[in-house]
Parts: sequence; structure tokens; C-alpha cells
Amino acid sequence: MNNSLKGSVPTDREVILGILNNSEDILNKLYKAYYAMVLQFILNNNGDEDDAKDVYQEGIIILYNKIKTGNFELSSKLKTYIYSVCRRIWLKKLSLNSKKTGSITDYEDVFAVEEDVENHEEKDASFMKMQSALNHLGEPCKTIIQDFYIHNLSMQDICEKFGYTNADNAKTQKYKCLQRLKKIFFQP
Amino acid sequence: MRNDLELDAIIEDYLLGKLNAQEMEAFEKLRLSDATVDHKVVSHKFFLASMDTFAEQLRLKEQLNHIHSEIDVEGLAATLRPHPSRVVQLWRKHKSAIAVAASFVVLSLISIYSIQHSTQQAERYRQLSNRVNNAIKTQNSLIRNIRHSSATADKPNSQNSFGGTGFAISTNGYILTNLHIINGADSLYVQNSKGESFKVKSVYTDPQNDIAILKISDKHFSNLSSIPYTIKRNTSNIGEIVYTLGYPKDDAVLGEGYVSSKNGFVGDTTQYQVAISVNPGNSGGPVLDNNGNLVGIISGKPDQTEGAAFAIKSKYILEAMRAIPQDSLGTNKLSANKKSLLSGLKRTKQIEKIQDYVFMIKAY
Repeated sequence: MNNSLKGSVPTDREVILGILNNSEDILNKLYKAYYAMVLQFILNNNGDEDDAKDVYQEGIIILYNKIKTGNFELSSKLKTYIYSVCRRIWLKKLSLNSKKTGSITDYEDVFAVEEDVENHEEKDASFMKMQSALNHLGEPCKTIIQDFYIHNLSMQDICEKFGYTNADNAKTQKYKCLQRLKKIFFQP
Repeated sequence: MRNDLELDAIIEDYLLGKLNAQEMEAFEKLRLSDATVDHKVVSHKFFLASMDTFAEQLRLKEQLNHIHSEIDVEGLAATLRPHPSRVVQLWRKHKSAIAVAASFVVLSLISIYSIQHSTQQAERYRQLSNRVNNAIKTQNSLIRNIRHSSATADKPNSQNSFGGTGFAISTNGYILTNLHIINGADSLYVQNSKGESFKVKSVYTDPQNDIAILKISDKHFSNLSSIPYTIKRNTSNIGEIVYTLGYPKDDAVLGEGYVSSKNGFVGDTTQYQVAISVNPGNSGGPVLDNNGNLVGIISGKPDQTEGAAFAIKSKYILEAMRAIPQDSLGTNKLSANKKSLLSGLKRTKQIEKIQDYVFMIKAY
């Protein structure tokens, strides 16, 4: 397992081009390439596998978004970047839970990524807001909204899926749901 | 309520670009005239953007979760979990540093080894018996064979017959020299400072210490007066002034220097290193200190170092002397107990006294 993971480490250039071109394969390779590194870090610093998964996915998302915005400059190895980001996230989580952060066992070089992590936190906050708004919406509104905006189903599909007599009814229903969602979402 | 919904639908179609040109124009007019509509458009735009990002992140997370499910987390965690042993933890932490250190150690070991190896190759021990002699010897024996057949006297041809140096260890004709000078020779002669030659035979050889004892078996030989030098029992210290008398050519040659190291060739503890320039023919010569004590026997020199020679330590002379029947040496033999007759004399006087006891060894 370990060997097959290491065998397919993509080059940093491949990763950046791959992400810009929405390549699932590259994302897959990238994820598998550095997971062990972060897992090791978390396990050796008061975390478990689930912590590792959360932190690592956040790290990958930060990298992904940064590359997607197009202003990613490769000033270090991607490996170092991912490690630094995940380390930063984990340290924050540790201090939030007021766990001991005294001596951190490091396995890689580290450089400053505070800015990127903080940018991400803002984004994440709006993500969480949308998530909780959707959760508050209740069925069937939640599913209709998700199907339309997230899974990009057409109104016709939604109409059939939910058994509305015609697309207009479905459409009206969707706008009713949307209104409520917006109300919740824009609540201060 | 109904109107609101319709408005929302129009706004969304407007933002998604689904309206046709006519409707578009009408809506933009409405937007300009009605601030509430405009506000709704802006907020809906923001909402749609948020929704887009949300959707994108959600899809990405799903993708990552999917990838994650392919990884054998349990297996990885088992190997990466903090190991109970501190050694393994340290190893994991400092893997690369350890690797660098290890390769450095290996590299330096290799270079040290190669340096040693090359010096060993370079420094070769050169024995100081005359090399040319081998050639001469074969030639000589040929000549002698011819002479033998023409029934001439079995006498050496003295003009090219030097091989090394030796010195008397008793007054009745026992002479000590290096084994390598006489090794393989079929007849041996010694010649004293006056030019007289005597036939000798080998009575003892010590291949380990490169020592041979010869006995003059010539009826013309008359006993020497008592041996002027004595054997030094203790080992000499570095810096002690020593000299040697030898026969690198037909006449005796004095070489003076000091003990430069307590060990000889590549740490050989049976020898000293002395700083005396020696030449082929000096082998077997006595090494004496200022008081006329025998410190050693010149036996060779390092190949690459100039002005250095090796001398077998004097205690091996005593060992060699003990190995032959004691009464055969007579009463007046070299010993360590007596006081040297050379003590307190000037060097010139010392040489004068010892030159009768230092012989040129000729091997055929």
C-alpha cells in the first residue's frame, strides 16, 4: 500500500496543471501522495485518524482553491506547503480544544502559511453558513435546492423526481424554497 | 407573494442570462427605477455566488471523501502511530539526518582506508645490501666456475665483492650481520679495515629479526683484542645521538644522526627509526651511541623517505648471542655488563678503536 502510494507521486507541475484542468486523476494522486505524511504528523501530535482526515482535506482544499484562483506561486515544494498548512490547521485546533501544544513533533520543514489558512477560514465560515441554512430549510426544499443548484438537475427532472404535475408547479415550489433559504442565509 | 416569486424568477433568469433582449431591456429599466428591485438583484447575485462556491466545495469534499475511502487508513495508521520505543521514534524523526551522518562516516572511512592503503603501497622497505651485487654475484660465480675447472685457487675476486657490513661480537671471530646480506650465498668472506679477507661460515640465522651470526674459520685469523663497545640494555630515547660505521663502498664510511622514532617500518616494534643517511652496503652495520653502547643494527630504509633508516634493536643481538653455544664465543665476548672502552672519547678516537671490529661482508 505504502509503496504503491509512493510510486505514483505526481510532480508539483503536474499537480498544478491537473487541478487547473479539473483532472480527477491528478487530485486522486495528489491526495494519496501526501496523506501518510499528514497522518503521521497528526497521530504523533495528540490526534487520531479522523482528525487527520479532516485536517488533510482542509489542507488539500486550501491548496486546490489557491491554485484555482490562479495566483499560486510555487515558492516551495508542494509537499512542504501541504505539510505547513496542515500543521497550522492542527495547531489551531489543538489550541481551540486547549490541548497541549507544548512540543510539536515535526517531520518536515515548515514555512509560514498563516495568511492562506486565515483566508480559508473566512471561506469556510460562509460554507458552514450555507450548510446550516440548508439544514434549517427542511425537506423537500433542501433536496430541491440541492438538486437544482448543486447537482445541476433541470426543472423537468426535478418535476418528475418529486411528482409535480407540471414544471411550473415545481418552479413555484423551488422559488418558495429559495426565498426561505435566502431569508435564513441573510439572517445576521 | 405571487409577485415576489415572479420577480425572483425574473431576477434569476436575468442573472443567468436567460432573458431575451426585449425582456432584458424592460428589466434593466425596472431595476433603475426601483431601488428595491435593484437591491434584490444584488443580494441574489451574492447568494448565487455563495451557492456556487458552496456547491463547488461540496463536490470537492465528496471527491476527496471518495478518494479517502480508497486508502487503507488502518494499515497506514498502524505503521505511523507513535512507536512505544523511543529509538524507533527518534529514527523516524531524524531519518534523513541519520542517513547523512551515516554516509559521511562511510565516506571518511573509505578515504582513510584508501590513504592508508596507498601509503602502504608507496612505502616499501628496502634492504640495504647492495642490489647490484646480485648481478655481480651470478657473474662472479660463473667466473669462479671457470676458474675452478682450470684448478685455480678458490679465492674470491676482491674487486667487486662487497655486500654489507658486520661487526665482531667476540674476540675469537664471531661476527654479527643481517641475514638478508648472506641469504642464499654459497660462500662468505669478511674483510677488515686493513684489507685482509677471511673466510667465514654462517653458524646461526634468525629470519624473523633478520640477524645472522658468522664465524671466521680462517687459520690466518688471529684473535682480536677485547671488544671496545658494549650492548645497551635499555631502549634508546628519541633524539639520542647515534652513529654507524659501514661499508657502502670499499672504505669504511661514518654516518651520524639520531634516533627519530621508537618503532620501525609500519610500526615494527623490533626496530628503531634513525635519522642517518645510509646506502646499500650499510646493512648490518652497528649503531652506537656517544658512549659506545650498541643501540642496534642498520637493516633497511623506507623507500620514500630520505635520510631515514631502520635499525634492529640491540636486545635482539643479545637474543641471537644466547642462541649459540655459550662457550664457543670465548671469554672475551660482547656483553652488556662491562663498561664501554669508548666512553668519554672523541668521535675520531672512537672510530679508530672500532674500525678493526667492523667488517665488510662479501657474499658469493
